[in-house]
Amino acid sequence: MSDQTVTRTNEEQQSNSLTEQQSNSLTVDAETDERLVDSWTNYEFEGEAAITVEDLDVYYGDDHAIDSISMEIPEQSVTALIGPSGCGKSTYLRCLNRMNDRIDSARVDGTVEIDGENIYEGDTDLVELRKKVGMVFQSPNPFPKSIRQNVSYGPRKHGDVNVGLLGKLLGGDDSEAELQIVERSLKQAALWDEVSDRLEDNALGLSGGQQQRLCIARCLAVDPDVILMDEPASALDPVATAKIEDLIEQLAEEYTVVVVTHNMQQAARISDQTAVFLTGGQLVEYDDTNKIFENPESDRVEDYVTGKFG
Amino acid sequence: MSGETASRTAAPGIDTFDRVALGIVGTAIVTFLLGWTTLFDRTSPDTAVAGLSLFALFGAAFLLAGAGLIAAGIASNVGLFETTADQYTGLGTGVAFGVVGFATGGLVTTILFGVGATGSVLVGLVVALIATLGVAVLPEDIGTTLPVGLLALTWGVLLVAGFVDVGWVWDPPSIKATFHAPIVVPLVTIALSLLVAWSGAIVAEEFGSQGRQNGAYLMIGLNAFGMIAVLLLLILFVVRKGLPKLLEGAQFGPGLNISVPFLTKGVVLGQQYNGIFPAIVGTVWLVIGAVVLAIPMGIGAAVFLTEYAEQGRFTAVIETATNALWSTPSIVYGLFGYAFLVPRFGNRNSLLAGMMVLGFMLLPLVVITSREAIKSVPDEYRDASAALGVNQWQTIRSVVLPAAMPGVVTGVILGVGRIAGETAPILLVTSGQPFPARAPSILGSFRFTAAPPFVQNEALLQASSALPYQLYAVITAGVGQEEAFGWGTALVLLMVVLGFYAIGITSRIYFRKKLNQ
Repeated sequence: MSDQTVTRTNEEQQSNSLTEQQSNSLTVDAETDERLVDSWTNYEFEGEAAITVEDLDVYYGDDHAIDSISMEIPEQSVTALIGPSGCGKSTYLRCLNRMNDRIDSARVDGTVEIDGENIYEGDTDLVELRKKVGMVFQSPNPFPKSIRQNVSYGPRKHGDVNVGLLGKLLGGDDSEAELQIVERSLKQAALWDEVSDRLEDNALGLSGGQQQRLCIARCLAVDPDVILMDEPASALDPVATAKIEDLIEQLAEEYTVVVVTHNMQQAARISDQTAVFLTGGQLVEYDDTNKIFENPESDRVEDYVTGKFG
Repeated sequence: MSGETASRTAAPGIDTFDRVALGIVGTAIVTFLLGWTTLFDRTSPDTAVAGLSLFALFGAAFLLAGAGLIAAGIASNVGLFETTADQYTGLGTGVAFGVVGFATGGLVTTILFGVGATGSVLVGLVVALIATLGVAVLPEDIGTTLPVGLLALTWGVLLVAGFVDVGWVWDPPSIKATFHAPIVVPLVTIALSLLVAWSGAIVAEEFGSQGRQNGAYLMIGLNAFGMIAVLLLLILFVVRKGLPKLLEGAQFGPGLNISVPFLTKGVVLGQQYNGIFPAIVGTVWLVIGAVVLAIPMGIGAAVFLTEYAEQGRFTAVIETATNALWSTPSIVYGLFGYAFLVPRFGNRNSLLAGMMVLGFMLLPLVVITSREAIKSVPDEYRDASAALGVNQWQTIRSVVLPAAMPGVVTGVILGVGRIAGETAPILLVTSGQPFPARAPSILGSFRFTAAPPFVQNEALLQASSALPYQLYAVITAGVGQEEAFGWGTALVLLMVVLGFYAIGITSRIYFRKKLNQ
């Protein structure tokens, strides 16, 4: 875990040097970019907010990784977080289901409200929170178990399905219910057709793209409201990436999806709104994806999305 | 083949060069093998082929190989054959030959001219210096062949001319030891064969980096082969010595009517065939007891140290202490059991005390290997499980431990091998009558009572024999004990340990298969 922190610090330094380069070039371009304008991040949308973040700060030791971010994420939509390496977008994502708790040196200030409850209040039940807010990681990480066991892992451990010896003994054998969850989740993850005849095979035998969709199915099996994805397609080939992207768009009909991505075309293709993180841990602009990519307020964001830096 | 070779080097007669090189390597391998068999008495030094004794044959082989090496080196150097030799041999090879030169020079002056220690060391140093510097600056084709060739020629002359024959003895006055030819000649032959094979392999690939690679490969390969050969020889030796006793009075058939008294009987006065059944049972129970004690404690400690405890000074101290415990001599464990456990178990030696002492001995290894296995489980699994809202203990139980299981089992296998053959602690805390008539009946001795402690097992609290202890008893018994009984015990001990290995390896395969079926 300390390794993670170290890597992060390196990235941070990288981004600092990036920032320097960029501010040199920007003094010529526009003076307004020297400071952030609040209205750029005030994104107005119709409907309910699934997640409301207010004044969120994250520190890794002395390192200020997230600098006072406030944003509302609308439900049942795809929100893309983009920005150069080390800008804090993954850290921000990991705040939304408190995965940062697993890093010893991390300290979080501010509030994150999900369903009207601040998840950083003392008595938050992490189990319930993470059942509600699922996560998919950068590299596919299925367990070395069968495909069926991978998908039903969450429900089993939460006691939602009761299979095995004890289930049989107590008469409440849920094998049928388990299979239903597995089938529903795999279908939602667009993987059912490919694996329905080999559910008992080891998940590590699947291709990278299939493994990633299996991870999505595993996350869907606990029936979350929000799905966080940390560069879910960056380790995959173009065909598998396209499948994941289609899947994300489908999932947004039912779930709130927040995607971190390096790939700006991907963000433009799949997301409804985009948040741009530029300087170390600051949210620069947050708006409709079309607006961000066609006519952003910030010149730095324009430079970034048109590929002039980053 | 020939077309390829021709286009590669464009030198005529390259086949001769290759043939010489292959001949040298082949000769060296043959002398290497014969050296080992002679050392272990498998081939007698008196064997004569075509009127030549074995040692003379060695000599002839070295004469041929040495001449071949020198010829090949010179042929390459004067440009008779086109090779890829480097300009210099290099200091590394030079230093290696310096060491060889020191040993050779020193020994030869002492043995041939009877020079004292100071003189021979001085001569050795001079030879070493010359060899190091000389070889280092020589062209590679000369530097890698000439010294080896000269050594081989010298050794060959000594053997063929009969300066060193079967009856040769070196009896240095300064130390109280005598070196006899049947030991010395095979040893020198083996060492020199390695050198000749190395040099020949370099010649075969025409020097250069390809040649050095080939030389190193052959030398390391022969070395590994030697190791395995020693191991096999050891096992074969025990089997040959022990098998007659093991099968004494054994009957196979008709049908399933198999009886091997050595394995199924105890030692009873007047019995026709005595056996070691009680000792086998004792050893098996000791190992089972130790494993049952050590595995839960060891894995539990490893899980705590790796998953829960904050990595820092505390875990570092524990880690060092565990490593130190693993290398603690077994007699110390035995003494601890003798002073601490035995008085608490009715002040007499018992199986239970032995199980606990052996369990303590096994514990550090289980902790060390389990920690390594748990550490090597990817963090992604833990992240994935945590992100699903599964708590840490359930994650450890259903993801981390299953993934670490093959590694844990490997550790237990290694440990069982050690404790099954342990003699010292058993001698102190378990041993009673070394050759008992009856085996401890653990399963049949459980008594359940209404009052605490509810379960009693008298057999666990009684002394027992064990295979290594019995072996020790046979060896130290002196006159009157038959030696064959000891060899039979040794063979059975070997089989019991291998049996435990087999169980361990099978379960490791099972756990691995579960992970990636």
